[in-house]
Amino acid sequence: MAEEVDIIDQVVGQEYKYGFTTDIEMETAPKGLTEDTIRFISAKKNEPEWMLEYRLKAFKYWQGLTAPNWQNFNYPSVDYQDIIYYAAPKEKIKLDSLDQVDPELLKTFEKLGISLSEQKRLTGVAVDAVFDSVSIATTFKDQLKEKGIIFCSMSEAVHDHPDLVKKYLSSVVPYTDNFFAALNAAVFSDGSFVYIPKGVRCPMELSTYFRINAENTGQFERTLIIADEGSYVSYLEGCTAPMRDENQLHAAVVELIALENAEIKYSTVQNWYPGDKNGKGGIYNFVTKRGICMGDNSKISWTQVETGSAITWKYPSCILKGDNSVGEFFSVAVTNNMQQADTGTKMIHIGKNTKSRIVSKGISAGKSHNTYRGLVKVNKKADKARNYTQCDSMLIGDRSGAHTFPYIEINNKSAMVEHEASTSKIGEDQIFYCNQRGIGTEEAISLIVNGFCREVLNQLPMEFAVEAQKLLAVSLEGSVG
Amino acid sequence: MLLETIKKDFVQYKAQAEQGEFLTLREQAFAEFEKLGFPTTKHEEWKYTNLKSITDKTFQSTCEIKSLVNELFNASIESKLTANFLVFVNGSLVNELSKIIEQDNNIVISSIAAARKNNQTIFNQHFGKYAKVEGEAMNALNTALLSDGAFVFVPKGKTVTHPVVIFNISDASDLNVLAQPRNLIVAEESSSVTLVETYYAVGANASFTNVVTETYAGKNAHVEHYKIQQQGGESYQNNFTQIFQEADTNINHVTLTLDGTMVRNNLHFYMNGEHCNSLLYGLYVTDNKDFVDNHTRVDHAKPNCFSDEKYKGILKDQSTAVFNGKIMVHLDAQKTNAYQRNQNILLSDDATVNTKPQLEIFADDVKCTHGATIGELDEEPMFYLRSRGIPENVARKLLLNAFADDIAEKIKIPELVELLENLIDEKL
Repeated sequence: MAEEVDIIDQVVGQEYKYGFTTDIEMETAPKGLTEDTIRFISAKKNEPEWMLEYRLKAFKYWQGLTAPNWQNFNYPSVDYQDIIYYAAPKEKIKLDSLDQVDPELLKTFEKLGISLSEQKRLTGVAVDAVFDSVSIATTFKDQLKEKGIIFCSMSEAVHDHPDLVKKYLSSVVPYTDNFFAALNAAVFSDGSFVYIPKGVRCPMELSTYFRINAENTGQFERTLIIADEGSYVSYLEGCTAPMRDENQLHAAVVELIALENAEIKYSTVQNWYPGDKNGKGGIYNFVTKRGICMGDNSKISWTQVETGSAITWKYPSCILKGDNSVGEFFSVAVTNNMQQADTGTKMIHIGKNTKSRIVSKGISAGKSHNTYRGLVKVNKKADKARNYTQCDSMLIGDRSGAHTFPYIEINNKSAMVEHEASTSKIGEDQIFYCNQRGIGTEEAISLIVNGFCREVLNQLPMEFAVEAQKLLAVSLEGSVG
Repeated sequence: MLLETIKKDFVQYKAQAEQGEFLTLREQAFAEFEKLGFPTTKHEEWKYTNLKSITDKTFQSTCEIKSLVNELFNASIESKLTANFLVFVNGSLVNELSKIIEQDNNIVISSIAAARKNNQTIFNQHFGKYAKVEGEAMNALNTALLSDGAFVFVPKGKTVTHPVVIFNISDASDLNVLAQPRNLIVAEESSSVTLVETYYAVGANASFTNVVTETYAGKNAHVEHYKIQQQGGESYQNNFTQIFQEADTNINHVTLTLDGTMVRNNLHFYMNGEHCNSLLYGLYVTDNKDFVDNHTRVDHAKPNCFSDEKYKGILKDQSTAVFNGKIMVHLDAQKTNAYQRNQNILLSDDATVNTKPQLEIFADDVKCTHGATIGELDEEPMFYLRSRGIPENVARKLLLNAFADDIAEKIKIPELVELLENLIDEKL
């Protein structure tokens, strides 16, 4: 036992690897949120009038809302006037190539293991890097352009592709959707925009890397992905933030639109700063993610590995509108120390023969709480809808909690809906089995956890799967008592 | 409006009530109810259950009893049993129909009103101690305005030989009636008792039954509790049962909902000792526009307990069923084993099922699983039967009966099971 306590101490003492800050000159909006802040952001970004109007409408709506409180975790109420809504590295001229990017910034991303330099083509991943509020650089843009693929920052898209933005922005997550969506619509700073034209299969993984750096800021980015008829895209996002004592808010909105026969695969490896062992600091990750299978035979697949954030509160959802459309959700949520997670998905079956699959693996260690909350709704006209849900929880240590709140609403008799859930702990016999074969306890746990999550990790693109596996091992190291 | 009637009723009650602890308790409960008001769909626990059709009506708490009641009682399947009978019409005891055949004088089977006089110590020790009033508007309402109900006391080591049938009838022949029965069951250490709680309704008007049952099971006690709901006509029911278990107790609770415009069942188990066994089974067969809501909560507060829960539903026409099961494994309730299943068969395109099987776990060495399925009849068994020359409608019936009887058979009174199975068969 004594030895185990030692291991716990070691791990608790382990620093968050990405906790450094970058010393760079920043340009920020004044603290607080008023109409002026929104005008400031809009002006900074040189936005057209319709965009500003949209933001102001959302802001007016948001003012009438109160923060939701139905969640299964506690957090002190956020003072929305004490947040900086816009922070960007100072830059004067528009960048033409990476050479002009502040070397300090490049170093930061280098440190995070994100290669922005296009020489490293081996990785074969096109990256859009978002530093605090703005997109810094997008790689492989030209190659993608040849195929007609648009992959750029949201601010560029507003200027260069206003028709697409006007048509699809807010079509899946309207600003009236919820408190954080309204807030995001009012103040969103940047994000990624992807458009895959008809019949094109995107030749490489697209990726956004989010980094919060500045103090007291909130990050509000907006991602919009449109897959036109018969196209395919796989998209990844990763996130980190420096270690700070105060909590920072991250309220992003992600919208996916899959037209007829299109497929979107969206993967997230979220590793925001989780706060220290006493729960001080860390990111509040309150994100609205939703995709719509607009056309027939379309497919949207969410994969998420959530290891960071003090609080994770998000439900990547699929609206299955087209006939024969498919929605998938694969999730691993790991909480340790004082972390809290309330996450899951919503599958709304509207079209006929729609299928959805949910695989959720929750692991809670330390004093953390992990909640799965999900909705499966089959509308009256959704004949032959099929859903399979599996949510497994694993508890490590006797001070953690696992919660499962599935909502199943069925209005059609031909629906087949199954929900299964189980809770277990790492068995002593499993560890013993490994020990006996010369595998140390630490390694054994990592092995067992990875096995427990295999189904989900298999869904991740190769490079990410490796990273995610390591992340899991680090997040949980020594948490077994 | 129901709220106004209730307020009037309480003023009336207060004017003639004697001072004392009991009145204080009821005043507190009423204050709590006034504070909370009727639950609305904004309340998470009432998300799918809209009480508007009840609260918009007026209901009277008293009403003359008609001869219809005797007929109904004599025609019922429960009356065929060899058992102790406590018959309540609109929440008041009917002496002519009630009969106690238990020989042992130490065992008490009486009305709540009688118990307050004759068994004061036991009554005060247990009444209102388990079904909490705070935050539970409907419990508060019942506590404030309860009429009467069953009181069963089984002293240490005793067994009640025959089942106790608590027979409730809502007689709505003349006007809309509101009945608020309240039952208290105390089974002391190593005692054993079987309860059959049934609900019927007669008359053309609407009836609303708001019942609270508290069961205390002392160490090593065994309680079998069967609830059969067959309220016809326009009938509404809110049923709250709180079972408090000491160590080593065995509880088997079966709920059959076969009729009722709107039925809401709240079944709560609290395990206050180790090695408890709690079994919760339920079956609902709904048709027309009926609405059935089963809310269960099992609190595993101590280690080494076992609970098994299975609720099944068959839905026809435009009916709606809600299932909300919560298993709560408290901190340090290690070695808990908890199972929960909810299975639904939809027979109509207009039927709706909303189910929320929930787990909340605060201990790591536990085995908990839950599952929910919703769909049509399985094709495979159907094919099996068809391939053996059984016509489709017969095969269908066979499968549905098998699905339903699985729950009915959890009742351990063979005569009753047989009668119930016939009833279910008719209903299907």
